[in-house]
Amino acid sequence: MKILVVDDSITMRRIILNNLKASGYSDLAEAGNGVEALSLMNGVDLVLTDWNMPVMDGLTLVKEIRSNPTFGSVPIIMITTEGAKDEVLTALKEGVNDYIVKPFTKSVLVEKVEALT
Amino acid sequence: MEVKYINPFMTSVMNTMEMMLGINPERQAPYLKKDKLTKGDITGLIGFAEKNVTGSVALSFTREAALWIYELMTGDAKDKLSREVQDSIGELTNIVAGGAKTALAEDGLSFHISIPSVIVGKDHLISHKLDIPVVAIPFKLNEHTFLMEVSMKVLGKNITQ
Repeated sequence: MKILVVDDSITMRRIILNNLKASGYSDLAEAGNGVEALSLMNGVDLVLTDWNMPVMDGLTLVKEIRSNPTFGSVPIIMITTEGAKDEVLTALKEGVNDYIVKPFTKSVLVEKVEALT
Repeated sequence: MEVKYINPFMTSVMNTMEMMLGINPERQAPYLKKDKLTKGDITGLIGFAEKNVTGSVALSFTREAALWIYELMTGDAKDKLSREVQDSIGELTNIVAGGAKTALAEDGLSFHISIPSVIVGKDHLISHKLDIPVVAIPFKLNEHTFLMEVSMKVLGKNITQ
């Protein structure tokens, strides 16, 4: 089970990776934006991505993943500060499987990851 | 000061600190800030704007508080305000601004927030919008303190007045 964590904040990547490691996930990769993430998609089973990032944002990343014939069906969880109802609906419409609004607790993160792995 | 616009920022700080650090900050009495000088060593600053809304929010920490918070967030100890520690303060400010943005959107007040900038240095200056008063709200976080500053104008009205 390989999980790719995408966030431009190194702190947020560290928090998410630490929580996943503590829950027994060991095959983990990380990227700082959507372009980096696309270059690491080979063999990925789950993507956790931020929305607002430089170079390529999370919503564009979701569209790129969903239109890719090789890894288009990989589950995606959006983890973002964008918590308004319209934004959640936009992300779901573009194909994210689940949505976490920052700030979040470890239990919420792990519960949602476990549901998709 | 129109409390209904400031409360979402205070609530967001409380939620963020509780969920990301596992600590409940204790809010102290707010006051109107008279100058641009901050007592902190590191500040995260985010601006927000839309057609009818403009303003900014800042979180200022002492060096000791920032290093302690970084360790709580990541499990890593640092002894200086490194790039990683600066990133953590920027991300905390981003989460606080995002939480307030979501709450205010539910009240019909929508705006975009900027990418956080982080200012480092003893007694540095923070530039909010020139014509809007700044409300400062101190918080106690265990033995540390930090300061949130909010300035906001809606439809030509100074909210933070």
